[in-house]
Amino acid sequence: MVFDSRGHANEPRVAQLSPSESSPLPPRCRKCPQCADCIAPPVGRCFADLSSAKKVTAAFARPWSLLCAHRRLVWIGALCIPPHAFVTLWMPRLWGDVIDSVRISTGAARPVDLATTCWLLLAMGLAEALLRYISRRTLIDVSRNVEQELKDQALAHLQTLPVAWFDRARTGDITSRLTQDVDLVRFVMGPLLLHGGSALCILPAGIYCMAKMDVPVTVAAAGILGLLFAGLRMLMPRLHKWSKLSQEAIGALSQRAQEDFAGIRILWQFGAEPREVAAMARRNRRYLASNLRLVRLRSLMNAITHSTTGTVMLGVLLVGGSQVIDGHMTVGQLFQFTQYLLLLMFPLEILGWTLATMPRAFAAANRVEELFAVMPEVTQGAAIVLRGHIEVRGLVFSYPGAAKPALQDVSFDLQPGQKLGITGPVGSGKSTLLALCLRFYEPPRGTIWIDGHDVLDLSPASIRALFAFAPQEPFLFSDTVRANVAFGRPDATASDLDFAVAAAALEKDLPQLPDGLDTRVGERGVTLSGGQKQRVSLARALLASRPALLLDDTLSAVDLHTERLILQGLKATRKGRTVIAATHRLSVVTDADQILVLDEGKVRERGTHSELLSQHGLYATAYRRQSEASALGGGDRA
Amino acid sequence: MSTEPDDDLGKPIGLGFLPQLWPYVRPYRRAFAGCLLLLLVSFVLELIGPWLMKLAIDGPMVNLTLDSVERSHQLWIYSGGFLLVTALGALIGYLYGQVTAWNGQRVIRDVRRSLFAHLLQVSSAFHERNPAGKLTTRVTSDVEKLNELISTGVLQSFFDLLKIGGVMVALFVLDLRLALFTIATTPLVILLSILFRRNAQRAYRAVRGKVALQNAYTAEAIGGVCATRAFGREAQVQSRYQQLNADTADSWRDTVFHFSVFFSLVDFTLRATTIGLLWFGGSAVLRGEALPGQFIQFWLYFNLLAGPIRELGEKYNVLQEAFASSERIFKILAEPVFPAPGGKNLAAERTGSCEIEFRAVDFAYRNDLPILQTVSFRAGPGQTIAIIGPTGSGKSTLLSLVSRLRDVTGGAVLVDGIDVRDWDVRALRNRVAVVAQDLFLFSGTIGDNVRLFDRTISDERVWQALELACAADFVRALPGALDAQVQERGGTFSQGQRQLLAFARALVTNPCVLVLDEATASIDSATEARLQQALAAALQSRTALIVAHRLSTVRAADCILVLERGNVVEAGRHEALIQQDGHYARMLQSLACPAP
Repeated sequence: MVFDSRGHANEPRVAQLSPSESSPLPPRCRKCPQCADCIAPPVGRCFADLSSAKKVTAAFARPWSLLCAHRRLVWIGALCIPPHAFVTLWMPRLWGDVIDSVRISTGAARPVDLATTCWLLLAMGLAEALLRYISRRTLIDVSRNVEQELKDQALAHLQTLPVAWFDRARTGDITSRLTQDVDLVRFVMGPLLLHGGSALCILPAGIYCMAKMDVPVTVAAAGILGLLFAGLRMLMPRLHKWSKLSQEAIGALSQRAQEDFAGIRILWQFGAEPREVAAMARRNRRYLASNLRLVRLRSLMNAITHSTTGTVMLGVLLVGGSQVIDGHMTVGQLFQFTQYLLLLMFPLEILGWTLATMPRAFAAANRVEELFAVMPEVTQGAAIVLRGHIEVRGLVFSYPGAAKPALQDVSFDLQPGQKLGITGPVGSGKSTLLALCLRFYEPPRGTIWIDGHDVLDLSPASIRALFAFAPQEPFLFSDTVRANVAFGRPDATASDLDFAVAAAALEKDLPQLPDGLDTRVGERGVTLSGGQKQRVSLARALLASRPALLLDDTLSAVDLHTERLILQGLKATRKGRTVIAATHRLSVVTDADQILVLDEGKVRERGTHSELLSQHGLYATAYRRQSEASALGGGDRA
Repeated sequence: MSTEPDDDLGKPIGLGFLPQLWPYVRPYRRAFAGCLLLLLVSFVLELIGPWLMKLAIDGPMVNLTLDSVERSHQLWIYSGGFLLVTALGALIGYLYGQVTAWNGQRVIRDVRRSLFAHLLQVSSAFHERNPAGKLTTRVTSDVEKLNELISTGVLQSFFDLLKIGGVMVALFVLDLRLALFTIATTPLVILLSILFRRNAQRAYRAVRGKVALQNAYTAEAIGGVCATRAFGREAQVQSRYQQLNADTADSWRDTVFHFSVFFSLVDFTLRATTIGLLWFGGSAVLRGEALPGQFIQFWLYFNLLAGPIRELGEKYNVLQEAFASSERIFKILAEPVFPAPGGKNLAAERTGSCEIEFRAVDFAYRNDLPILQTVSFRAGPGQTIAIIGPTGSGKSTLLSLVSRLRDVTGGAVLVDGIDVRDWDVRALRNRVAVVAQDLFLFSGTIGDNVRLFDRTISDERVWQALELACAADFVRALPGALDAQVQERGGTFSQGQRQLLAFARALVTNPCVLVLDEATASIDSATEARLQQALAAALQSRTALIVAHRLSTVRAADCILVLERGNVVEAGRHEALIQQDGHYARMLQSLACPAP
C-alpha cells in the first residue's frame, strides 16, 4: 500500500480539533453570583497578562518539564523514528531493482534475485510496522500522560484561587482552557513530535535520494508538488473563514431553535409560530448559503489533492520517460522515483499543518499558563476553633469596578446562639453580607470581627469551619442525593444523614425519586425541582454540623407548607447554633433575635419582628403582602 | 448537546423511514441521477489512467525496436492522454462535490424546515416529555447526519461496491492468476479493516463518554467553587477530578493501542499482498508470460481496490449513525399535531362579546387522576374572575384551557359562545392574551420581545402598550430603549419589570380576553403600585381570568372561584363569600393580624 501514503495520518488531524478561538458570544454583563444583579460592565482582565512574555520556551516550559519526566519513553519513541524513515525510503529502491531485474529487455542494470528481494521487502514491511508501532505507542502515550498531569495541576491550582476571582472569570472560559487549550498543548507534545520528527527525517533524506538519481526530474517534480501545496495553503485562510461563518450560522440556528422550544407556550399563546417558522427558514437559508460556499472550497481542495498523484505521475512520465528513452534512467528507477515522491507528500502535509497549528498551540499554551499565573488566595492567618460571636462595624464594601458600594455602613453584633434575619429587595446586599462573613471577598480591615479577631487575621479555613452555608442557588454535583447531602461530611453516620434529611423535609420526596437517596441528580441537579435542590443543600448544611448556619434565601423555592415544617424542625434542632438567615420570605425571620432590613446596601430598619411591625415601614408592608398571598394560596412561588 | 448516549453501534439498520424520506429527495432526483453519472465517468477515468501508463511503459519505454524520435513522439501522446484524464478526473471530482452538496444541503434544508415547523405544532405534552436541548439536537446534529447519508453515504457506498466489483472484473481480465491471488487475500483485509473500525469506534465511544464526564465535572468543580470552599472539600473534589482524568487518559491510550496495532496490521497485510503480487507477477514477467507495463497496470488497479476496502468498515459506521438519526427525525415527524387538523376553524369577528364560559369542564392527564372536575362559570365583557386556591388545586391548568393549550376531557370551554375546539386556533389565541408570572425572553431586542417578532406591529403601538403597562419609563431608560438587546434571558430585569414587560406583550395585540397569573410577594412597593395601576387600566374593557394573590384584586373581582383539588368549592363576590363563612372566610382568617 505504497500509493496511499496519506493513510498514515491516523492521529486526529488539525481540522478535526475543535477550534479554540474564543467563543463568538458578545461580552456579557458581569454579575454578582449571589444576587444575580448586574454589578459592572464586562471586564476582560481576570487573567494575568502574559502577552508580554511572548517566548515559546516560557509558554511551553511547564508541559515540557512534564514531558521530560517521561524522558526514557520519549527517547525510545524518538529513536525509532530515523530507522523507520530509513526503511521507508529503502523499500522503493528494492521495488525499482525488482522491476528492472524482471525486464525481458536487455540491460538490466542491477540484476537481483526475485525471491530474496521479496523476502527482504516483507521483512522491511514488518520492521516498518513495528518501528511505527513503538514510536506511536510511546510518544502518543506520553503526550496523554502530559495532558493528564497538566490538567491535574491546573485543577489543583484552581482550588487555591480566591472565590472572588471566579466571579470575574467565566466558567466557560476556564473550562475551555482546561480542555481545548490543554488539548492543543498535548498535540504539540505528542503527535507533532511523532509526525514532525518523522517528516524532518523523511523530507531531506527523500529529496537527497531523488536528487542522487536525477536532479532535473527532482526539480520538476518538487516544483509541481510545491505549486499544488502552495495552492492549497493559499486556500486555507478562506477555508477557515467560511467554516467559521458556517459554524456561526448553525450556532445561531441552534440557539434560536432551543429558545423556541423552551418558550413554545409563549409562541402558541401569541400565535407567533408562523413568524418563527419564517425566521427559522431565513436562518436555514443563511446556513445553506454559507455551507455551499464552504463545500465549493472543500471540493476544490479535494480535487487538487486527488489530482496531485496524477499530476506527479504525469510529470514523471513526461520527464522521466524521456530520460528512460535516452537511457539515463531505467523503468525501475522511474518507478522508484515515483514512490519517493508519493512518500514525500505526507511529510509535506505535516509540515503544512504544523505551521498552521503552531501559532494556535502557542496561544493555547499561553492561555493555560495564564491560568497558572493567577495568584492563589491568602491562606495565612490564625487557625483557631471559633465559637461564632460575629460583630460587624461600619462595613462598607464595593465590588471591584462597581459604581456604587454594595454595602454601606452596616453594623450588627451577634452573640453565639442568636439568630439574625436579613431581609430586603433583590440586590439590596443581603448575599454580599453573607459572602463577606465567609470571606469569599476581602472586607476592609477592622469591619468584620469573629470572636474578637479581625477576619483578615484568621485563616480562611478556620472561618469556613465555623459556618455551614446553604446558598440561594444551591450547587449540586451530578452524583447521588446521598453524596450531595454528605458533601460537607462524607464520613457521617447513616443516622446523622437521616436526621439531616428529615430536618430539611426531604423525606417526603424520597418515595417520588426512583432510587430514593441513591437517585442520581443529573448535571447540576436537573432532575430535581428547585425546592428539592434547596432542601438537599439545606440538609448538606445541617449535616455539616458547624457552630453557625448561613442561610441565603435557602427556602425561596420551597412551598409554604414545607417551609413551615422545616422552620419548626430548625427551631427544635438549633441547640445553640448561631444562625444568619438572608431571605425574602419574612416567615423565616419572625423568630430572629434581630432583623436587618437592607435597601441599596443600607440598613433601613432594624429590630425584632414585633418592633418592626409596629414601625409600619418597609418590613410591615412586605409582611402584610406576603400574608395575603399565602392566605390566597399564591405563596408557593416567591 | 444530547444527553442520551449514542447507542447506535451494533443496532440493526432500520430502513422503515425510507418511504418518508423519498418526498424530500424526489424534487432533486434528476440531480442525484447526475451525481451517479459523474461517479461512473470518474470510475472509467480511474481505469483509463493505469492503462495509459501501461501503454507508455510497454510501448515507447521498453520497446527498443522503435527509433528514439518515434518513441518520444508516442510518449508525448500518452502523456497528453494522461494529462487529459487527470484534468478531467479533477474536474469531475470537483463537479461531483458541488452537485452532491447542492442536493444534500437542499434536502436537509427542506427536512429541517418541516421538522422545525412540525415541532412547533405538536402537543404540549410532547414538549413536556422532551426537553428543549434534546429537540434542538434533532433539528441540528441529527439533520446534519442525515446529510451525511444523502450527499455522500448512500451514493458513495453504492459506488464503492460498484468499484470493487468493476476493478475485480478488470483484474480478472488482465491476469487470471494474479486476480485469484488477490481474491484470496481480500477477505482477510476486509475482515481486519472491519474489525479494526469496530474496535476503534468502540474505543472512541468510550473516550467520548469519559471526556464528556470529565468536562462536565470540570464545569462543576469551577461552578461549585463556593460550595467546595464553604465546606472545605477541596481535596475531595481534586481526587474525584484526578480519578476522572485518569479514566479519560486510560481510554485515550486504549484508542492509541487500537490505532497502533490494527492500523499497522491492516497496512502490513495490504503490503504483504502487494509483495505477493510482486512475487507472482514478477515471476510471470520473468517467464515471459507478461510485460512489465501490464504488471504495473495490474498493480495500479489493485491499489484502486485497496482504498474502498480499507474504508468499508468506516462507511458502515457512518451509515449506521445516519440511519439512526433519520429514524429519530422521522419518528418526530410522525408525531400527531395539536390541535389536530380539521374542525370548523371558525374565526369569529373581532366585535364578538368577549365572553368566556366553562361548561362542566373536566380535565385529567390520566384517567385516575382528575385535575379539574365539573368546573362551570361564565364571565362577560368588563368582568373579572379571580381564582384562588392552594398549590396543586388546578389553577394553572384551568388557565391553559382558555387558549387551548390543552383540550378538556369533558364539558366545554366557550369563548364568544363558540367552543374553543371549533375556533381557528390562531384566531382564538389572538383574542386571548396570557400574562405569565415570569416573562420568557427571546434573544433579540426589547421591542422584538414585546411584539414577539411581529413586524406588522409598529414601534408606536409597542410604546402604547408599554405606556399602558407602566413599563415605558424603565424601557426608555435602557441604552437603546426599544432596541436594547436582551441579555442572558433577561436576568438584568427585576421581577417587577419582567411582569410589566409581560403585560405589555399581552396588550400590544389588543386582545379582548386577558388570562393572567398574578405576581407574588417579592416585589417592592413602588413596582407593586405600578402593577396595580397597569392591571386596573388593562381590565377596564376586557374580560379577565386571574389567578389572584392580592386581596385588592380579589375584593374587586366580579366573581371569586375557590378551587380545591380541582373542584370549585365556593363561588361569588367577596362580601357574599364572607357571609357564607366557608373556605374563603377561613382563608382570610389567617390574616387576622394585618397591619392597619
